[in-house]
Formats: sequence, C-alpha cells, structure tokens
Amino acid sequence: MSAPPDTIEPKAARATLRGRPELYTRYAADQALLNTNAKKFWTLALLLAVIILPFTPFATRAWLGNLTVVMIYAIGGIGLNLVTGFAGQVSLGHAFFIGLGAFTAAFVGGTPGRTAGGLELEMWIWLPLAGLVPMAVGLLVAPLAARVRGLYLAILTLGLVFLGEHIFREWEFVTGGFIGRRAPEPVIAGFNFNQRQEIFGVDFEREAIFYLFCFVLLVILAVLARNLARSKSGRAFAAVRDRDVAAEVMGVPLLKTKVLAFGVSSFYAGICGGLLAIAFGQITPENFGGLAGLLLSVEFLAVILIGGVATISGSIIGAAFVVLLPRFVEIASAYIPFVGGQGSGAFLTIFQVNQILFGALIVAFLILEPRGLFGLWLRMRNYWKAWPFSY
Amino acid sequence: MTATLEPAAPHADAGLATIPARIRDHATRDPARVCMREKRYGIWQDITWAAYWDNVQLVGHALVSLGVEPGDRVAVHSENRPEWLYADVGIVAVRAITMGLYPTNPATEVAYLLQDSGSKILIAEDQEQVDKALAVEADCPDLEWIVYLEPRGVREYDHPKLMDWQDFIERGRQHRGSDASLIDRRAADATDADIVTLIYTSGTTGPPKGAMLTGGNVAFAMETLVADGGFYNPPPTNDDVVLSYLPLCHVAERAATTWTNAQAGVTVHFAESIETVQANLKEVQPTLFFAVPRIWEKIYAGIHIKMNSASLLKKLTYGFGMKLATKIGDELVEREGNHSVKTRVLYAIGYPLVFRALRDRVGLRKVRAAGSGAAPIAPEVLRFFFGIGVIIYEIYGMTENCAVATVNRPGRVKLGSVGEPQPGIELKLDEETGEILTRHPAVFAGYWNKPDKTAETIDDDGWLHTGDVGEWVDGTHIKIVDRIKDIIITAGGKNISPSEIENSLKTSPFIKEAVVIGDKRPYLTALIGIEMDTVGDWAQRRKIPYTTFRDLAEKEEVLKLMQKAIADTNDRFARVENVRKFRMMPKELDHEDGELTATQKVKRSSMHDMFGHLVDDMYGNGTAYPGGDLVEVHTGERAASDDEDAEGAA
Repeated sequence: MSAPPDTIEPKAARATLRGRPELYTRYAADQALLNTNAKKFWTLALLLAVIILPFTPFATRAWLGNLTVVMIYAIGGIGLNLVTGFAGQVSLGHAFFIGLGAFTAAFVGGTPGRTAGGLELEMWIWLPLAGLVPMAVGLLVAPLAARVRGLYLAILTLGLVFLGEHIFREWEFVTGGFIGRRAPEPVIAGFNFNQRQEIFGVDFEREAIFYLFCFVLLVILAVLARNLARSKSGRAFAAVRDRDVAAEVMGVPLLKTKVLAFGVSSFYAGICGGLLAIAFGQITPENFGGLAGLLLSVEFLAVILIGGVATISGSIIGAAFVVLLPRFVEIASAYIPFVGGQGSGAFLTIFQVNQILFGALIVAFLILEPRGLFGLWLRMRNYWKAWPFSY
Repeated sequence: MTATLEPAAPHADAGLATIPARIRDHATRDPARVCMREKRYGIWQDITWAAYWDNVQLVGHALVSLGVEPGDRVAVHSENRPEWLYADVGIVAVRAITMGLYPTNPATEVAYLLQDSGSKILIAEDQEQVDKALAVEADCPDLEWIVYLEPRGVREYDHPKLMDWQDFIERGRQHRGSDASLIDRRAADATDADIVTLIYTSGTTGPPKGAMLTGGNVAFAMETLVADGGFYNPPPTNDDVVLSYLPLCHVAERAATTWTNAQAGVTVHFAESIETVQANLKEVQPTLFFAVPRIWEKIYAGIHIKMNSASLLKKLTYGFGMKLATKIGDELVEREGNHSVKTRVLYAIGYPLVFRALRDRVGLRKVRAAGSGAAPIAPEVLRFFFGIGVIIYEIYGMTENCAVATVNRPGRVKLGSVGEPQPGIELKLDEETGEILTRHPAVFAGYWNKPDKTAETIDDDGWLHTGDVGEWVDGTHIKIVDRIKDIIITAGGKNISPSEIENSLKTSPFIKEAVVIGDKRPYLTALIGIEMDTVGDWAQRRKIPYTTFRDLAEKEEVLKLMQKAIADTNDRFARVENVRKFRMMPKELDHEDGELTATQKVKRSSMHDMFGHLVDDMYGNGTAYPGGDLVEVHTGERAASDDEDAEGAA
C-alpha cells in the first residue's frame, strides 16, 4: 500500500449516487441551497426565462417597467421580511428607510439645483451609500426599538414615518423640499443603466437594461439574505421571534440580534429606495412620509404577509402580487360594471377596488394560510412530494 | 466498464481466493473507490477499499498482538456497521474464527454462546452489549478481552478486560510496524479446510448449535450465490448498491453484505439502526434488496395504512393503480415472471401515475433484483410487489449449506415454491420422509463440539439432511412443506403441515403471529397474536378505544376480526385442516423473553410453557380466556385473566 488510506480522496462510482437525491455524502451537498436536481433545474429555468423575457414580443415597455418595480419591491420586501418575518420585530417604519435611501441616492448621485445640492457621483458610490445611510440610521434607532415589542414597537416605528415627513420636507438642501428632486442617473464608468444602449451590436431598450440590472441586484441580495437567514444569526432571529425571553436564556444576545436585524433590513430598504427613485423619475417627500409613507409601509407588510412570512422566495412572490394586482384590476375594470377610471363618475374607483382587495386578501391570508402564497406553494409541493401518500 | 467488473481472480502465488484476499485485490486495483458508506453525523461517510483493507490488516495485527492463534474464536456482538466487516475479515485474515452474536441476544444467551464457542476476544458494540458481557464474564473462562466500539458510557468502566476500539487499532498499528509480513504469511498458510466462521443456528428446538463454515464452503457459496447469480440475478456488479440491515451473524445477511461486497464489489450502505431501515432505504435506493418476509410484509402493510389516510384523489389514483397492479401481478405469476405485451403496457400506464412514486417512497425504485428468504412469504405479498414491478425471487437455503440450495430464477418463477436447485449442486428428496437433502462443496464441516449432532445431520454419503420436508413442483421446482419436526399428526391420524395454515393466517394484515396446535388432538386450534400497528389503526378508524396490546387484542370487535380471518383461511383448506378454535396471545412475542429466536421465529417449545393454559382452555371447552370458535367469540372472564396478571407479577 503506497499512500496511507486516510489521505486518499474517495471516488464513488457515479452509478452509486445517480438518481439518489437524498443520499448525501458531503455536508456541502446536504446544505446546498439547491440541494436537489429538480430545484437546480427549475431555478435555472426561471432565471433564464426572466433574462430572456425582455427580448420576447410579450415585453412591452410598460410591462417591463412593472416587472422592474416588482423586483425593486422584492428587495424592499426581503428587507422587511428579515426584521419582521424572521426576527419578529413588527416595523411600520419601512417607508422611512426607503425614503432615506431614495433621497441619499438623489443627493449623492444627483445634480445641484436651485435650492438642492448634489454631488454628481457615479452609481457605484451612490447605490451603496443609499443602503449604508439608512443602515446607519437603523442602527441608531435599533437600540431604542429593542427595548419594546409588539404594539409599542409598531407605534415607535410608525413615529419614524412622521419624523421622516418633517425631515424630508424641511431639509431642502438634500431633498429639494416639497417639490422634491429628480432621481440620480444610474451610471457606472460612463455606462448608463437607464438609457438605450448598444452592447456587442445588440440594441437594448432603456427599460430592458434597467430591468436586467435590477434583476441581477435582486438575485445577489436575495441569495445573501437567504444565507443570512440560515446562518447562526438567522437562527438567532428565529429564536428571538419565537420567544425573546427564552432566546436570551439560551444565550442569544437580544440587543445585538435586534440591532443586526434592523440594520440589515434598513440596508435593503435603502437600496430599494435608491432604485425606486429611478423608477419614479421624480421623488417628493409625499412619496415616503406621513400618510403616504404609512400606506407604503402597509403595502410592504402586505408584500410579506401575502407572499409568505419568513421566506425569501415569498417576499418576491408577494412583491409580484402587490405590484401587479392593481395593473390587472385596471385591465379587468373595463369589463366590470360600477368600476371606473380615476374619475368620480363610477361607483368604485380602481384605487378603491385595490384597497378593498388588499384588505380582504390580507385578512384572508392571515386566517386561511398564514404562510402566504409561499405556504400555498409548499402545500402544493408537499402534496406531490408525498404522492401517493398523504404524509 | 465490464473489464473491471471481473471478480478478483486468485493470484497463482497468493494462495486461495479467501475473503481477505479478495479485499486486498480490490484495494490494490481500486484503492480510492468507495466500497461502503455509513451514515454518521447526518451524512453518508465514504469508506474506500484502501481504508477497508487497512482496517482489516490492523484488526488482524491487533488480534495477534493479543495472543490470538489460528483456530481461536473471536466473537462480534454488534449491529451492522463497517467495524463488523473489518473485524470479520481481519479475524479470518489471521486464520482465526468469527462468531457473530445477535444484538438482541439476552445476557444468558451471550453466556451460552461465548462458553460454547470458547471465544477468546469479544468485540462488543456499545454499553448495552458490554454490560451483557460483563454480567456473564465470570462464567466465560476463555474470554480474555472485551473490545468496545462505542466508548459512550463505557469509558468510565474500570475493568481489566475492557479495551477501546481505538486502542485496539493502535495496538494493531504498532504490531504491523514490527511484523509487516504477518498477514501475507497467514494468507499463504490458509487452506480450504480452515474454519472461517461459526454461525449459530437459531434453534427453534433446543439450544443453538454452532455451524462451522470453512473457507472452501464460503468460496463455493460466493461463486454460486454471487458470481453465478444464485442470490441476485443478473449477477451483481460494482455499480450495484445494497443496504445492510439484517443481522450479520445470520448466513443470509453475510451473503448479502460481506460476500456480495467482497466478490462483486457492490457498495454497501449500513442502515443507522433497524428502526431507520425505511428512511435509509428511501435515501439509499438500493439496486439489490434482500429481505425476510417480515420486512416485505411490513412494507406492504405500511403502504396500506398510509393509503387509508390519504386524500380522496390520491386514494382513487392508487385504487386505479392497484387494479393495474393486480392484473400485472396475476399475469406475471401465471407467466412465471415473464413480462408480456399486456403487462408492459399496463405497467407503462401505471408507472407515472402510481408505481414510480410508490416505489420511490418505500425505497424500491431502483431495485433490479429482490430476494426473500429465511421463512415462507405469503403469495399475496409477492403478487402485490410483482404488480408494482418489484419481482421478488424466493430463495431457500440454510446455515448448514451456506444458503446454497434452491432459488427462483428470472423468468422461471413459481409462486409458492422456493425455486430450482442452484447449478452445480446435488439436491434430492428423501424417498421415505420427503426430507430435502443437499450435497455440494458448501455443505458445512459440522457443528462446533457436537459430533453427535453433526452425525445426525450429515450422513455417510455426505448428504446434508435439512430437516425440511419438500416436494417437487412440475419436476423442476421445490416446494417446502414444513419442518419435519413440526408436522402435526392429529388424533385421527392425519398428517398436517401447520406452517402452511399459519402462513395463510398471517396473510391477514391484522395477524402477526399464528401458532397452530393439534398434535395428537381431535381438531386444530390456533393461538393468534395481533399486528399492533394495523389493528390499532383499524380500531382507531372505528373509534374503538384501547390502551395496551393486551387490551386491544381482547376487544370483542378484534376477536370478531380474527374470527373472520380464520374463517377466510379455513375456506382455503380441507375440513380436517380447519382451525376450530382460537385464543389471543396476551403479549407481543419477543426474543428477549425467550418466545422468539433471534431471527424472529416462534419457539414452539416455549409456546407450551407460556400459553399452555390457553390450549387447555380450548380443548377443555372453557371460555376463561379471550378467544372464540367459528360461531361466536367471548372476551373471557376478566377476573380470571386478572388473576393471571397477579400470578405473572408474582
């Protein structure tokens, strides 16, 4: 025997592993995000479909824009899910952090105007800052938020939205005051992600470029969040959510865990805000502060409740649902009596129908399937997974 | 690929193709290839041929360093795990003799086996087995060392004979440093007549006897069972996967694990424990699967229980699939396991709907050859598995002939028979008694220290008397009638095979044990033990509350259920063979209580001690104990049975 046996790298015959998805011989394979062939295949197929979509005839500019907003909402939804879904800290202040991100982006990346300043930096600076500044603020607020829970925490975070309204309105040098300011240009090394471009001789629409850019960002941030959620910190989040006293007894540092949850969540919210600014084109304090801010926060709560609490994929599904439902209502309204356009002539406006639908859906999901759309998917998957048994 | 699949051929100068020699050849040819996997800490850990051979050598050296000489006995008392194989092959590599104990053997039996074999060293798995050994160590004068594999709980023990497996292996490493050629020298000395293992027969009557198997026996068995496809057909290759879970001290599992691995190089996976077999089966999805009827019946019953609680759509789909399966099964049985166009078409319809998923759930999706042996299996169970595409080949053999006797071959399956004689062996029926006799190179060398018993078993012409009565089916296949000792002669003088009736009773999913009684009696009666899982499930569905096994077994509704099962069986037999009365066994039979052998066979002798009062009750026309006849049932006199409890407690 030449080499000592424990130094030999084992080689398994392929035939003894093939078709045995549950036969894990390595921890890496056991713990992989895509631990089965079916998951690998469908994830890849989905990624490809999303990438190819802009080049198909289905993709009108309007729909690409909608899908881009879906992705931006998904990033924000993931952020809220980290703090509310995973760590169990109800936050109504998400809109404040989104606004903070948006104005940071606009200030750092924007051009100086009559009253507002601007640093005219490229996106590789302003986008990270759009995340880091809200994160810093989140870290400042978190120790306060960590002292309360439940209803009190909801009210405390709600306060942020109203504080935010005041700051956004008054700090004209940064926010442009009540008329707001233009979004920054997403430029990296001279390449503008929000402009018609020609790459290797292929003509890309403005919407297609920004769509793909947001998609890449979403994939990166989603994978990071997923890994955070299944790390030691993620388990600490869950422990705190399930019972903070018990978590502390087990040795989970309560303050540190809550602060981390708020910090990361605010970072995601900030990135969401920065991108949302581009999607809107023009941002005003009315978008993120006061009652509108509260509504935005609630909309994000709807994203995670409808999509699925404490799941990353659920946040994405929820974002798609919340963003696209009004568009479908709009299309459907042409065929439904009593529902009209924006005007007051109809019995119900589209906006009102949307509000009613959201309310009804949130109530329905909370009662019927608290795990949201993702829970429905899980049920469906388990139904087929157990076939022909029921468990 | 096929070039590398050739079994390890013996080198001209390297002595015999013993198991150690085959492992060495695999390790030289394919050191990095995985030959075993063991589930530890949540994943299946790979073990290469090089590691296998290295451990075998270290065990051999360690044994020699502890004073083991050729011909000495070394006992192994463990669940299936790689160390079992390291120990077994290591023992043989230094020409000592392996003696395996069942993990369920109670301390008294451990004492008997250690004394009878005169084992010098015991390799015990964990605290449980060490405790048994320490309890009887004083009565085993030959026992010098107890090597334990799992230090948990044993570490604190202060006993001069205890040694940790790691220290044992380290000893071997040091010894190898000083005497590197030891294993080669012993291999060169090895002969075909060397006894390599003692396999204690389960002994449904009398104490276990140690069957001595020689190197020549095992080599012939490996050739016939593995290389020639006598066990699995087509023969195994090194792309095959098996799960090892039946006790390795039994000849069948030794063949299915150690021999198949050494001869064909299949990858062996060790189940975590007997409780996790179902889950492990699903993960491993073996290509070759051997099981005793009890396991097949359990899988079968498990499917039915789970389907009972499935949703409507699933039930309907399954029901449709089962209609197809019945058609396929019947046709396959009729055509002796050959597919016809009809069965293939039906199977192709049922596969995507039910069969694929069903086989996947129970872990049989990739099974290409399945075997059943060691006890008779109910035809209903076989038909079911045939129907879902798992063709089970019944095999017959015994410890004394290294499991080489008969097997059903692909395309020539006769249900109810145990198949045709293996090629290259002699097999005949005794003209007077109908007893099956075999003669071939794998017939054992005799019972350890029991020349009188050996003489009873092997006659002067070298024929092994199996003790089983058989008959020819169509002149080619053998059907087992019963153990010669178990045949009942009723008071009317009629010869009856109780096991045929018992097996028919056990086809009911609700009956786990059935013992038919009637020797020198006017009519037949039966003791019935319920299958707790299925009867419990049945009772729950009918909202019948129950507490213990005994309480459930003695419910009136359950008695009626049993009565019906008996009536069904009676319909299949002649009037004299009908069971007239029955009583319920008040407890689950157990090896540790001495009611079952280690291989879960009922010990008839213990039945009389344990349940004599039930038998007397039946033949004395009493109704003191729960049971019934073909007309009515009675739950017994509670007071009387409570007295029994008090007596039992005292």
